[in-house]
Amino acid sequence: MILFIEQLLNGLQLGITLFLMSAGLTLVFGIMQVINLAHGSFYMIGAYVGATVTVFTGSFVLGVMAALAAAGITGMAVEILVLRQLYDRDHLDQVLATFGLIFFFNEMTRIIWGKQPLFMDMPVWLKGSIELLPGLVYPIYRLAVIVVGMSVALLLWYLFSRTRLGMQIRAGASNRDMIGALGVNIKLLYTLVFGLGTLLAGLAGVMAGPIFAVESGMGESILILTFVVIVIGGIGSVRGAVVGALMVGLVDTLGRAFLPSLFRTFLSSSYADSVGASLASMSIYILMAAVLIWKPRGLFPSYN
Amino acid sequence: MTSAIPKTVIIIAGALFFCSLPWAADYFGEQYLISLFTRILIYSLAAVSLDLLIGYGGLISLGHAAFVGIGAYVTAIFFHHSFVAEPIAGIVAGSDNALLVWPLAIIISAAFALIIGSLSLRTSGMHFIMITLAFAQMLYYFAVGLEKYGGDDGLSLYSRNQLVGMDLNNDVHFYFVCLFFLTLFLFISHRLVKSRFGLVLRGAASSSRRIKALGIPERRYKLVCFVIGGAGAGLAGALLANQTEYVSPGLLHWTLSGELMVMVLLGGLGSLFGPVLGATAYLLLEETLAMYTEHWMVYFGPILIMVVLFAKRGLFGFLTQKE
Amino acid sequence: MADYILQVKGLCKSFGAVQASQDLSFSIQRGHIHALIGPNGAGKTTVLNLLSGELQPDSGSILLNSEEINKLPVHKRVKAGLGRSFQITSIFNDLSVAENMALAILAGRGHNFRFWKNAMAVDIVQHTLTEALARVDLSGRAEQQAGRLSHGEKRQLEVGMALVGGPQLLMLDEPMAGQGAGGTVELQKLISGLKGTTTILLVEHDMDVVFSLADQISVIVYGHCIASGSPEEIRRNSEVQNAYLGEH
Repeated sequence: MILFIEQLLNGLQLGITLFLMSAGLTLVFGIMQVINLAHGSFYMIGAYVGATVTVFTGSFVLGVMAALAAAGITGMAVEILVLRQLYDRDHLDQVLATFGLIFFFNEMTRIIWGKQPLFMDMPVWLKGSIELLPGLVYPIYRLAVIVVGMSVALLLWYLFSRTRLGMQIRAGASNRDMIGALGVNIKLLYTLVFGLGTLLAGLAGVMAGPIFAVESGMGESILILTFVVIVIGGIGSVRGAVVGALMVGLVDTLGRAFLPSLFRTFLSSSYADSVGASLASMSIYILMAAVLIWKPRGLFPSYN
Repeated sequence: MTSAIPKTVIIIAGALFFCSLPWAADYFGEQYLISLFTRILIYSLAAVSLDLLIGYGGLISLGHAAFVGIGAYVTAIFFHHSFVAEPIAGIVAGSDNALLVWPLAIIISAAFALIIGSLSLRTSGMHFIMITLAFAQMLYYFAVGLEKYGGDDGLSLYSRNQLVGMDLNNDVHFYFVCLFFLTLFLFISHRLVKSRFGLVLRGAASSSRRIKALGIPERRYKLVCFVIGGAGAGLAGALLANQTEYVSPGLLHWTLSGELMVMVLLGGLGSLFGPVLGATAYLLLEETLAMYTEHWMVYFGPILIMVVLFAKRGLFGFLTQKE
Repeated sequence: MADYILQVKGLCKSFGAVQASQDLSFSIQRGHIHALIGPNGAGKTTVLNLLSGELQPDSGSILLNSEEINKLPVHKRVKAGLGRSFQITSIFNDLSVAENMALAILAGRGHNFRFWKNAMAVDIVQHTLTEALARVDLSGRAEQQAGRLSHGEKRQLEVGMALVGGPQLLMLDEPMAGQGAGGTVELQKLISGLKGTTTILLVEHDMDVVFSLADQISVIVYGHCIASGSPEEIRRNSEVQNAYLGEH
């Protein structure tokens, strides 16, 4: 039981990371109708810059702020230089051009930081674990990630439902021709939305730094999970991103934790391990396929 | 002003080039060229099969590498089981006979394409791109989990397959076998795109709404296209397994799908022969640029972006354009 | 007892809070040119989308030759005899004019899973292509890429393609839109030339065209049919005058 709650929290934490990645990206897909494969690169930039500044200044908070700034600014620069040319192009052009961005960013990090993964130490004030329930000891850092993620979700909710900018963004996600007609500065709005997305990705990256390896190409593995989240949640829907991220986070984590042992109870040992482990890593894709059969456009499709 | 070079001239020139390569390599004493160009031929085959999907079917599949990987793994697994003289899953005997294994590689890849295509084609646009990517990645993780066949470390074949009348371990023989299959696939694809099936497919890619309004159930045609592309990729995979005598999950990784797409783009989308040029250009570039700097990718990225933005028609389009 | 090729009964369709069609009913007699008119936003294109199958109604029924076609998807309705052109011309821009027409020809001939023979060399295409192109005056443009045609020529191609299938009921969505004076005359001739062989449902804003071509007119206001009758009856109808012709 304790193990279950622990894994549940882990799944929540993965879900939060995925939410941060997918919230911005689903908006970019929905409003700008651009498929951006390079989103993972901003996750990577956040991790690298965050790690470097943290080690250099000794302060994790400074590292996080630097990561956010780097991801956000690079994002906006990319939007202005590259993405803008792609809005009217077909999806193939967008795929290939953003692919070029991936090549560029991955190699750039290798040039600047070398091929070896970076080591990012956990900040001292977040080290260790606390006892949540009798017998359940959980790392403080992971709890912090969950708390930060939920705060961001709340902030986003406030942004979208209570501010004018948020309203413009929501309107854009549902009908982008109209917002131009309403006199909103589209170019600026797009740049801001894109920058917001990359900022969130950078946040996800810097928070993941102490837990996973910081290396070139780290963005791509999380990107695919992000795509699964968006497919399940529905393009253009932040609510869908929340639901999708939680589902994927939980299914993946719980699957990996419990499927192999589940299989061991009714298959012979050697097959059980490999079948269980394989199924565990495939579980979210099976989930995605199942959702697709039931709702081809995701759980919360927008009507764009 | 460049004057248009007729398509047939380019194709004939290309054919002559590829046919005479082994002798040229021998003459210049650069034996490794044969191996390099064999790789080029195999990747060309994969790229042409992808062009069928993207250039003619309008299906932007980021998971095409999966079918290459499946073809390669089928070949490797059958070889492995024949080598250790143990039947697969206790039932089917292994084999290193190309006449048995290569058709199997094609059929099994096509079967996977049928399943993945049926699910993915329920969607379109951005969804389709992401879903094909996700399914391919799923198969990648599946391959990594196959500990019996090396998992992440991959699986080695200790020699190439047996093909009656040829010695595939002879690089020149193998080169011509690959050239034969590429030519065959190009020929089949060429007839395919001009046929009624091809016309419907191109129409569906041009306007989904219109094709439906004509009363044509477009999904079936797209699915058949997806399966044929998958079959071609599967064959390329089988040949690749033979060429390197090694397979690993990396063959299913989406970065390979991306590379294939770049080859199609560089060569010319929707031209069938263009991707051959594209694969040649990409692999040669990779060889030569890598000699100058190990960080050549940092230049290639922006170059690719510029090609997409400004030079869409690729090499084939460039050479055959009319002013 | 009139021979109705199409009967629409009580059709309702809402998009969220907007009711695009409200208890919409009208009938079209075989062989007629039947026009649908109404103010902008009245829901005329929605009607066509409901009839073609691109949209599903919330309630109501559609009878083609006295048979319910509500459950049929788009391509099956086409096979049942319904053809249509689109308000925003929808042709195969990447294919040539001849290929566009050939596709339309081949579409009606069973399945097209034929992989070997050149499509343009198929018998049925060889026999009917020339006539199909001539019918809409596009013989000289056969090899042109369809995307490069002028606006009017694209419309002609689209109507030509819709005609190939020999539809029993052809739905034209604002065919005159964007046409110069010459093009309008051409299309009018084409449409009136179809009388007798094809029933036509014409959605159109150009009142001159409507009143000169139509046998029957139905007036749609706020998704509801407020009047149906001959051009003379409609011209005299005071409700119609208030709702629509008043703004003209």
